[in-house]
Amino acid sequence: MQTRDLGATGQTSSVVTFGTIALNWLEQEGANQLVELVLDHGVNHFDVAPTYGDAELKLGPKLRQYREDIFLGCKTQERSYEGAWQKLERSLDRLGVETIDLYQVHGLEYEDELATITAEDGALAAFREAKEQGLIDHIGLTSHGNPGLIRDAIDEIDDLETLMFPLNPVVDAKDSEEYDYDAVLQRADEENIGTLAIKGFAKGSWPDTAELPEHERSYANWYEPVDEPDVIRDRLNYVLSRGVDTVVTPGDPKLVKMVLSAGDRYEALDEAAQRAIVEDARHAESPVPEQLHH
Amino acid sequence: MAVPETVATALDDRAVAGKRCLEAGAGAGSATLGLLSEGAREVFAVTNDREHAETVRERVGGDGRVCTLEADLREVPLPDDTFEVVTAHALFNVVTTAELPAIADELTRVAAPGAQLVVDDYAPLPESAAMADLFALENAAGELATGRQPLTFYPASLLRSVFESHGWTFERRRTLLDPVPWTDSHVQTHADVAREAAASLDGDLGDALTAEADRLVETIGSESAGEMYSLAFRFDS
Ligand SMILES: C[S@@+](CC[C@H](N)C(=O)[O-])C[C@H]1O[C@@H](n2cnc3c(N)ncnc32)[C@H](O)[C@@H]1O
Repeated sequence: MQTRDLGATGQTSSVVTFGTIALNWLEQEGANQLVELVLDHGVNHFDVAPTYGDAELKLGPKLRQYREDIFLGCKTQERSYEGAWQKLERSLDRLGVETIDLYQVHGLEYEDELATITAEDGALAAFREAKEQGLIDHIGLTSHGNPGLIRDAIDEIDDLETLMFPLNPVVDAKDSEEYDYDAVLQRADEENIGTLAIKGFAKGSWPDTAELPEHERSYANWYEPVDEPDVIRDRLNYVLSRGVDTVVTPGDPKLVKMVLSAGDRYEALDEAAQRAIVEDARHAESPVPEQLHH
Repeated sequence: MAVPETVATALDDRAVAGKRCLEAGAGAGSATLGLLSEGAREVFAVTNDREHAETVRERVGGDGRVCTLEADLREVPLPDDTFEVVTAHALFNVVTTAELPAIADELTRVAAPGAQLVVDDYAPLPESAAMADLFALENAAGELATGRQPLTFYPASLLRSVFESHGWTFERRRTLLDPVPWTDSHVQTHADVAREAAASLDGDLGDALTAEADRLVETIGSESAGEMYSLAFRFDS
């Protein structure tokens, strides 16, 4: 699998990052097998979080076995200094490792959260101490919130080294500013910040739970995913052609394999082919009735 | 409502802001919307189809800069030397070779000196594409039902020389889509056109064409094939 420099971190990441939430749905034996498979495909960047059920615990054994081969990203939803320290120590403990390579502020959504984490007693103060002590190597941020807020975060956090945010053709087909993650990508590139794409394989939201109860959903994802190998391949090619460094696998183990196989065969798309995928996604999302043309 | 990538890409290197525009073959109003969002001063959206005119009014008629006009582009009731920007987005694929010259004459007549022209359309599909079979069926059924072929896919070079021979200077060619994503709904809608024409034919022939439309929808599903291009010209005379 191809690799790309993750911003200025010095890390070179595989174009596919393993989103280890998929391990939560498996027994330990299955989890071990999936990690082996992912590594066999040349994936060297893993992402985990304490909020992903048992993912940290299930990742632990294989992570420790292959610690040197894996660039480990973890994250916390804590916004305070104390809370962030506690969660970091807990994650290190549950993963059973000495260090985490990339520690990320998880799911920044509101403006006041940005103020909180950057304050003197905010989470980032804990991140910086942990970095000085050698417990973490790099500082990152994840958000599926307002692109404007993410750009503010870039401006306000000088030592920010990576960003994780949504990028897919369905979102790119929407014109309004609240979906302008492209501007985030450009800004990140200017600052040489590493970029990780999430929701790359999202087709849309799940139907309302009244219509389709949660336990009847066909995949263990936050959103309804695309699930045909060709479409998955188009999506991966699209997201990576936009210029992000790496794309995170979807949450359902069934889909991880298809994404790995697409990742092995990644091919850059020119702009006309990227537009074709955006138009395709736009029609799938909200077909203009009676439309004969493009 | 978002401007499709195709329209946005065709217009993004054109100077539209503050200009008086003609959208020839207004269809669903996509190019009209694109011209408006590029800051056009006025857009005359012309179509010969009453339903299309209504669709355009519904989608973009609320914008005071739009004037929707139901008229034939072969003889359009608009004055000479008027428009600074003329667009024909996916128009010519629904124009036969017999109709093409008159429309080219008229678009040239109403263009102001120095005007820009943007022509976006589909290149002929590769024969291997299953969509080519569906379009052939649509043409056969349409021709039998009305005596007119509904679809013609012109190579970019052909439309280029048509407009050059009318005094337009060719400026650039862009690829808008490659491959063109013919989605489930595009396939269904084209099949419906074929079915409707087939339904007006008597007896076995109509049934056979309908069955073929059903079969093609089934086998195609959706398909990515062909190219959509954009040509830009300037009128220097
Ligand atoms: C496929 S649509 C074009 C799409 C449209 N430009 C858009 O951006 O949504 C073709 C349009 O051209 C119109 N048309 C075709 N031949 C025409 C003619 N001779 N005079 C006027 N309109 C014509 C059709 O009625 C239809 O509205």
